[in-house]
Amino acid sequence: MMKLISVLFKKEVLDASRDKRSVMAGLYYCIGAPILMCVLFTVMFKQMASPDALKITINNAENAPNLVQFLASKEIEHGEGEEVKAITLEVSDDYQENMMQGKSATVFIIADKSEQKLRSSINRLERNLMLYNSEVASLRLVARGIDPTIARAIDVQTHDQATPTSKGGFVLGIATLSIIISLFYAAMGMAIDSSAGERERNSLQLLLSHPISTMHIVLAKVGAIAGFSIIALVLTTIVSKFAYNMVPWEMMGFTVIIGPKFIISAIIIGLPIALMSASLLIFISFLAKSFKEAQSYVAMALFIPVMMSMATTYDIATDIMQWMPIAAQQNAMIEIIKGNAIPVPQLLLSSAVTLGLFAIFTYLSSRMLKSEKVVFGL
Amino acid sequence: MKKPFKFKKSLVKLALLPLVLGTVLPLQAATSTAELSACYAKGLSDRAQCGKISQPLSETKTEQKIDIHFMVIPAIKPLYPQEAIIAFAGGPGQSATEIAANFERILKYARENRDIILVDQRGTGKSNLLQCDMDDLEQQFALNDTLLGLDFYKEDALKCKEKLDTDLSDYTTVAAAKDFDAVRVALGYSKLHLYGGSYGTRIALEYMRQFPDSVASAVLDGLAPNNQSLMAIGGAIEGSLNALFAQCEADKKCANSYPNLKQQWQSLLNQVEQTPIEVSVLHPRTSKPLAMTMTKMKLFSAIRMALYSHSFRALVPLAISEATNGNLAPLVGMMAPSEDGLGLAMGMHQAIVCGEDWPRLTAADKAKYSENYMGEMMITGLDATCPIWNVSPVPSSYYEPVASDIPTLLLSGGLDPATPAKWAEVAMEKLSNATHLVAPTATHIVAGQSCANKLIAKFYDEKTVGDFDTSCLEEDTRKQFFMNINGPATANKE
Repeated sequence: MMKLISVLFKKEVLDASRDKRSVMAGLYYCIGAPILMCVLFTVMFKQMASPDALKITINNAENAPNLVQFLASKEIEHGEGEEVKAITLEVSDDYQENMMQGKSATVFIIADKSEQKLRSSINRLERNLMLYNSEVASLRLVARGIDPTIARAIDVQTHDQATPTSKGGFVLGIATLSIIISLFYAAMGMAIDSSAGERERNSLQLLLSHPISTMHIVLAKVGAIAGFSIIALVLTTIVSKFAYNMVPWEMMGFTVIIGPKFIISAIIIGLPIALMSASLLIFISFLAKSFKEAQSYVAMALFIPVMMSMATTYDIATDIMQWMPIAAQQNAMIEIIKGNAIPVPQLLLSSAVTLGLFAIFTYLSSRMLKSEKVVFGL
Repeated sequence: MKKPFKFKKSLVKLALLPLVLGTVLPLQAATSTAELSACYAKGLSDRAQCGKISQPLSETKTEQKIDIHFMVIPAIKPLYPQEAIIAFAGGPGQSATEIAANFERILKYARENRDIILVDQRGTGKSNLLQCDMDDLEQQFALNDTLLGLDFYKEDALKCKEKLDTDLSDYTTVAAAKDFDAVRVALGYSKLHLYGGSYGTRIALEYMRQFPDSVASAVLDGLAPNNQSLMAIGGAIEGSLNALFAQCEADKKCANSYPNLKQQWQSLLNQVEQTPIEVSVLHPRTSKPLAMTMTKMKLFSAIRMALYSHSFRALVPLAISEATNGNLAPLVGMMAPSEDGLGLAMGMHQAIVCGEDWPRLTAADKAKYSENYMGEMMITGLDATCPIWNVSPVPSSYYEPVASDIPTLLLSGGLDPATPAKWAEVAMEKLSNATHLVAPTATHIVAGQSCANKLIAKFYDEKTVGDFDTSCLEEDTRKQFFMNINGPATANKE
């Protein structure tokens, strides 16, 4: 029987390889998606980060020479021209007077805080003004013979449990999302072609006329498609590995490392998903009456696994969701990148459910192929 | 059957990819044989890894062990997992792991791609801390050191020697260098980039001498080299203080508010030398009235310590002027941080000074270094205490300039009250691949004060200063002097 399936499998692979466009579409995704994502991240980080030398408008600077000098030492300076950010620091007229008398001297920050690109620069300005505040306050205390540590009633020491690889949060969600999607979308064209397409080309009847069970046919098709999905997954992770290295994650204080360990884990975790995805694609394609209909149905059906993955990506998955197929597997992948322990029970259960779905879809497809209505697309 | 063949071929190509990956594998993170556990440094929220190795106390006392503790601050994006930066603390006597947050700030850019290793040098921090008992602020304020004379220092040294009950000869720079390389080996790094500040430059140079093959590059900031006596520090203090006076004189506001500051300082020193000022002051934290005897030693030390940071330098004219008028409050505020001896392990400090700097002093040296007050006090103190500590002098070969072609960047601050730029020239004598940059207005430790932190990161990457725009080192980092108790603001705008 294995020999039979393997002959059928070879036939499917040969068939698929003839449809160059489907193959190319799949590969295009695997190579294009990670690179595009990395380009977007790089552009986004560069826009979000405050530039090394921050140029702003400082009004009334002559009233606060010491403050201006302090900000300059933090690379925040008054500037002219295009690179000046839309942030104005205005020193009040009575600044010197108040400073001298030990009253609070006012400065105004005038900026639009809804402007995403300015936010980190505004924060940086505010942070450095606070630093100046505490520096002057400390020296005022010292000048009065007081140890400035008394102004720091509590000494807050934060012990952050995160590591540079686990701080990626959102980015890790996107990275694993692209891997999960590759399992569903890379082989989509190929799956539709090998089922609805084969029926439309009338070669399905020919295949069924041979003395082989429908189960064998379906298993061979699913095997070939799942195999292609896994190749897509490997390709996506490898391209990611190199593309992610180019992104300046360190600007945001974290890093994303796709290592060999992760790639191997992703293949193992992805295998049941690939089988389930392939059997689902075949099942839906046979359910449809035509090639065209199959395309629409598949697109609709794939919305569900993608939503599961999205929920994990945006971290809105509830406790129950963590046990669901796709979501749990993606979560496991995220934990592996982070270098944390794998949530084993969740992963085992969801993988079992995934394999169960594979069995169900495969069985249903093989049943369907026994119906003339399906075989002739009536 | 042409096409499937092609397909198979491309499959074969795909199958090759993980192999390419496989060859990348050995480049993955250094493999540590030391047992590491998560830990945190004061003031640094990032999780670090801590561990320890057991080292022989000395070559002759191999059966006696000393635990050397260390910390690894992980790189943000480890592009060079086989390399790490090792930061050597100053003092001598500072614990590298205790000031981890400082190092992290100085090496912020360098850390983006490489781990930072911090090792508590033997005798400091967790590595068998050699600490003497310290007087608290109340005792320090009340003490009249002029009355007690040298006996006071001797007694102190004897008490501490008894407490420590250790041969300090095992704690010199020469003895300590091997610990650092043992840590490197235990952590599995093939090459280290060195960062040494102040005394840290001396241990860094010794490491370069003993383990040249372990060093990829070195940044030495504020040079205190092995071939330069620390006793010459008096001149540096004088130079830095004179620059401050000159700065005030050149600034119209300061010159108006504090005329003749230098003379005022001189006469204040003379005044306390003859009769220390006896007043009641308030404890800087508890506000409890304390008896204060302001001796020349205490006055000079308070101003000297203020010279290290630009923030405190801004207070010096005010402090001198107020003290002349009988108000010691600013000086009291300046003295508060030195209550705990600035976090230095005093026993280890003595091991270095008495084992390396004191034995080498000739009569001519002593005469030369005693030309200024601080040098004179130091030499008198060491002449009294070093015989008690009884540290075996390091071999004379130790004083030979370190010869090396390792890419080295030397940084000096023009206003440094401890390690003047000319000491870097002394260190460079036989460094064939070295660049010396001076930040004219920086004080001690340049990396914390200007764009030097970026320069350092670039130097580790490229092993040369290259096209880095060093003009930012020239930027004036000095702060405006306090014109009154509330700050630099004055009534008349300029």
